[in-house]
Amino acid sequence: MSLAIINGSPRGLKSNSELLMRNFIEGYCNIIPRIPEQLFLAKASDLAGIPDKIKTSQNIIVIFPLYTDCMPGIVMQFFEDAYESGILNSKNVGFIVQSGFPESKHSVFVERYLEKLCRRLNCNYLGTVIKAGVEGIRIQPPSMTKKLFAAFSLLGEEFAKTGEFDRTIKDQLMGRYEFTGATIGLLKIISKTGAFNMYWNKKLKENNAFKLRNSNPYSEFRN
Amino acid sequence: MKITILNGDNKSNGNFTGYISELSKILATENTIEVFDLNKMNLKFCTGCWSCWWKTPGECAMKDDAGIIFRSVINSDLLIFASPLTAGFTSSELKKITDRLIVLIHPYIEVRNDEFHHKKRYDKYPEIAVIVEKNSDTDDEDLEIISDIYKRLAINFHSSLKFFKTTDDDGVKEISLAITSTKTQKTQKV
Repeated sequence: MSLAIINGSPRGLKSNSELLMRNFIEGYCNIIPRIPEQLFLAKASDLAGIPDKIKTSQNIIVIFPLYTDCMPGIVMQFFEDAYESGILNSKNVGFIVQSGFPESKHSVFVERYLEKLCRRLNCNYLGTVIKAGVEGIRIQPPSMTKKLFAAFSLLGEEFAKTGEFDRTIKDQLMGRYEFTGATIGLLKIISKTGAFNMYWNKKLKENNAFKLRNSNPYSEFRN
Repeated sequence: MKITILNGDNKSNGNFTGYISELSKILATENTIEVFDLNKMNLKFCTGCWSCWWKTPGECAMKDDAGIIFRSVINSDLLIFASPLTAGFTSSELKKITDRLIVLIHPYIEVRNDEFHHKKRYDKYPEIAVIVEKNSDTDDEDLEIISDIYKRLAINFHSSLKFFKTTDDDGVKEISLAITSTKTQKTQKV
C-alpha cells in the first residue's frame, strides 16, 4: 500500500495534527514497515514535492484543524489546485478533521463538503475522522493523552491492514456529538465560573498579556 | 449603514469583480461602502501562532494589509463575503482572510445555544451576507453546504446570516434590495 499524508495545519511541524499523525504512522508501521511521508502545506519546501508524491501514492490522507468552521485557507488552496490539475482523480482519499471544541458537531458541516469534494474530483472517499477536544495535547502530560494517541495508533494499524478507517475507532474518536440535558445545564454553570478558560489564562499570563486580554484595538469607538 | 465587502475573486478583472463593483456603486448612494479586492492586497495565511489570543490580545502579529480589513469589518453593520465558487467552495483568497478574523473574537469559551463557542471581544459584530458566483459544476447541494457552513461561521462570529445569494439568480438590484431590507430590519429593531 502506498500512502501520502497531507498535513494542512497552518502550524506545520509544531501542530496537533502532526502529533496525531505521528501516532497514526507508528501504528501504520506496525503492519507496513515503510514510513509514509507526511507533507506539510504550511512548509514552503514541501509544496513543490506534493504533486509527485500524490502521483506515486494510491491512498491520500488529508488532516487539518477546523478553522472558522471549515478548512484552513492553505487547505482550500490545495483543494483548488487539485480541482484544476485533477491530481486526486481515482485516488482513495480520506480526511481527519481535529478541533479544540469539546463537541464534534462543529466539524460535521465541513465533512459534508469533503464528501462532495471527492465526488467532484472523481476520487474514492474513505470517510472523515472527526476528533474534537484536541487543543492543548502538546502540553498535556502523557497520562492525559495516552488513550487518544493509542486510538490514533490503532487507527493507523487498521488503515495499513484494510486501506480504510476502522468504523469502531472512528466512532470512538468522534466522541460526543453535542451535550444535552443535565450535562449541558451543568456545563453552563461551570462555563460561568471561568473554569474552561484556565488554559488561556495560563498562556496569557506566561506572555504578560493577561491584563490586555479584553483589548479591542480595531474598534473606532474605543476610548 | 456601513458595509464591508470582501471580494475573493482570484481574477483581477473578472466578471465577478465587475459585478461587485457595480453593486458597490449602487449601494454607495445610501451607504458607506468599503470593498476589499483581496487578490490585490498583501495578505498572508494565518499561521496559527495565536499571538492575537495570548501575546498581543486582539491584535494580529502579521505585518501585512489585514489590519485595515479587521478595522473595517468590526466597525461595519454588514459584512459581505463575496466570491466565485471553485472546487465547491468560496475561494482560498477569501478563506485566507476569513481565518484571520479570529483576531476579532476572544479565546475564552462559553456555552451559547447549548454549544461551546468563543466569547465576544467587541460589543457589536456586523451581520453577515454571502454572494457567490456559481461555477459550471455548482449544484443545489453545493449551495446548501456552503450556506450551512457560513451559518455556522455567523454563530461563532456572534452574528447571523442575513442572506445567501448567487449572482446567477440575483442581479445587483435584487441584492441591493436584500441589503436595504437588512437595513430596514435593523431600523425596526431599534
